[in-house]
Amino acid sequence: MKPHRIKAVMLRHTYEARRNLDRIIDMVYWPVLDIIVWGFFTIYLGRGNHLQPGMISFMLGAIILWGLFFGFQRDMAVGFLDELWSRNLVNLFSTPLSVTEYMTGLIAVNVLKAMVGMTAAALIAWVFYAFDIFPKLPAFLPFMLNLILFALALGIIITGLIFRYTTKIQGLAWSFAGLLMPLSCVLYPLKSLPSYLRPIAWMLPTTHSFEGMRQVLAGGGFSASHFGWGLALNVMYFIFAIVFFRLIFESARSRGLLVKLE
Amino acid sequence: MLIEIDHLTKIFGKFIAVNDVSFEVRPGEIVGLLGPNGAGKTTTIHMMLGLISPTSGEVRIFGQRFEEHRQEILEQMNFTSPYVAFPVRLTVFENLMVFARMYDLRNPRGKIAELAKLFGIEELLRKPVSRLSSGETTRVGLCKAFMNDPKLLLLDEPTAYLDPQIAGQVKQILLDMQRERGTTILYTSHNMAEVEKMCARIIFLSRGRVLASGTPIEVTQTILKEDRDEPALEEVFLHVAQRQTNEAA
Repeated sequence: MKPHRIKAVMLRHTYEARRNLDRIIDMVYWPVLDIIVWGFFTIYLGRGNHLQPGMISFMLGAIILWGLFFGFQRDMAVGFLDELWSRNLVNLFSTPLSVTEYMTGLIAVNVLKAMVGMTAAALIAWVFYAFDIFPKLPAFLPFMLNLILFALALGIIITGLIFRYTTKIQGLAWSFAGLLMPLSCVLYPLKSLPSYLRPIAWMLPTTHSFEGMRQVLAGGGFSASHFGWGLALNVMYFIFAIVFFRLIFESARSRGLLVKLE
Repeated sequence: MLIEIDHLTKIFGKFIAVNDVSFEVRPGEIVGLLGPNGAGKTTTIHMMLGLISPTSGEVRIFGQRFEEHRQEILEQMNFTSPYVAFPVRLTVFENLMVFARMYDLRNPRGKIAELAKLFGIEELLRKPVSRLSSGETTRVGLCKAFMNDPKLLLLDEPTAYLDPQIAGQVKQILLDMQRERGTTILYTSHNMAEVEKMCARIIFLSRGRVLASGTPIEVTQTILKEDRDEPALEEVFLHVAQRQTNEAA
């Protein structure tokens, strides 16, 4: 891997983020809008004494972290779609750029974009809803890492599917993370799911991250168990994603899809 | 040899796009890869860039097997085609800067300025690609293709969207590059007069197979099966295209 080629990919997507209003909206607008709506909702619930202690923190913290997960997964897939929409793949892959370098550049730039969105949402939660996530960040960091790793694995898998099935399935870029939201126990604990869904939820690193986050906010300290489970699942999904993407990429080369993708 | 294509075949399902093609290109040559639509020219070029994997056969460039030395080979070659595009929201300068960084140039701004002057696009550098005409985008593609001072250039119909004046300038630049730097060029075009002027040697493909190869006059005589004093590639092209149409009917 050559750092200058990774930087070139980062530069390409940084220019895109600067020039493309859609990318700016994706990066900042949605996380901010989410936190504003949920912030008002928690105020409403708080006034009516409908909430258990700490519930506002649970909800706002969960929305901020879900925004991080959702944004990163979406931006990975949309970053690749940008190459398809602009028919730029042939230009890129007729240089010495490798797929690994391309994906590394895309990951690096999207981690930064996801952090911008998360910081904007966290600042709004702090200023308008008196929810300060920043002192809790050291305890949240391992769970955030697991969220990013899972979003990365999903982003790689969805990118692979787009390689194979082209823009016909581009809707997955925006919708797939939403499909996981009910099972990830973002806003409620795992025990509130019907018992037949709990084993599926348990297999999602997102569930362990949100369960772990709730334990931190409830004063229960860092949950090594939830972090460990999330990490182990992520390693499994990540290996699967890499193998899957390699197979799909080689299949795309063999079928000539790389030069026909639109 | 700079390029060695050895029994290259590409099959998509039941369709044979490239059928047992072999040819060689010496350093410093300008070679025309010709043929009617569907002859296998672009698929051959895409296999030489690693964008499509061959069903069988081998590509060797600079004496190295492509599959094993992809990155070293692509560092020293480049490609352009008017049928590929650039991110449209980025300016011309930004697009070229991405490729300058990709090749780790020491002075990317200087190189972009030099190429922009050479291809007459200095005034376009600050424009988004979405506002360029087809001919202007083609010239941006040529700037990209020269970014790493390639030893080997693969050009897929490089003058397709250019007006005659600009096309003439581009052809002269290519001839200068070949003469001054020894750049090897593999060139596809549907403009037979242009190919006769540019290329010392021709490889003529039809239905994925090499129909004839040699100098323009040799290819003319082989395919038309007549003695000729002058190359007549336009006639050859029409003859092969007509034969393809008849066979298909």
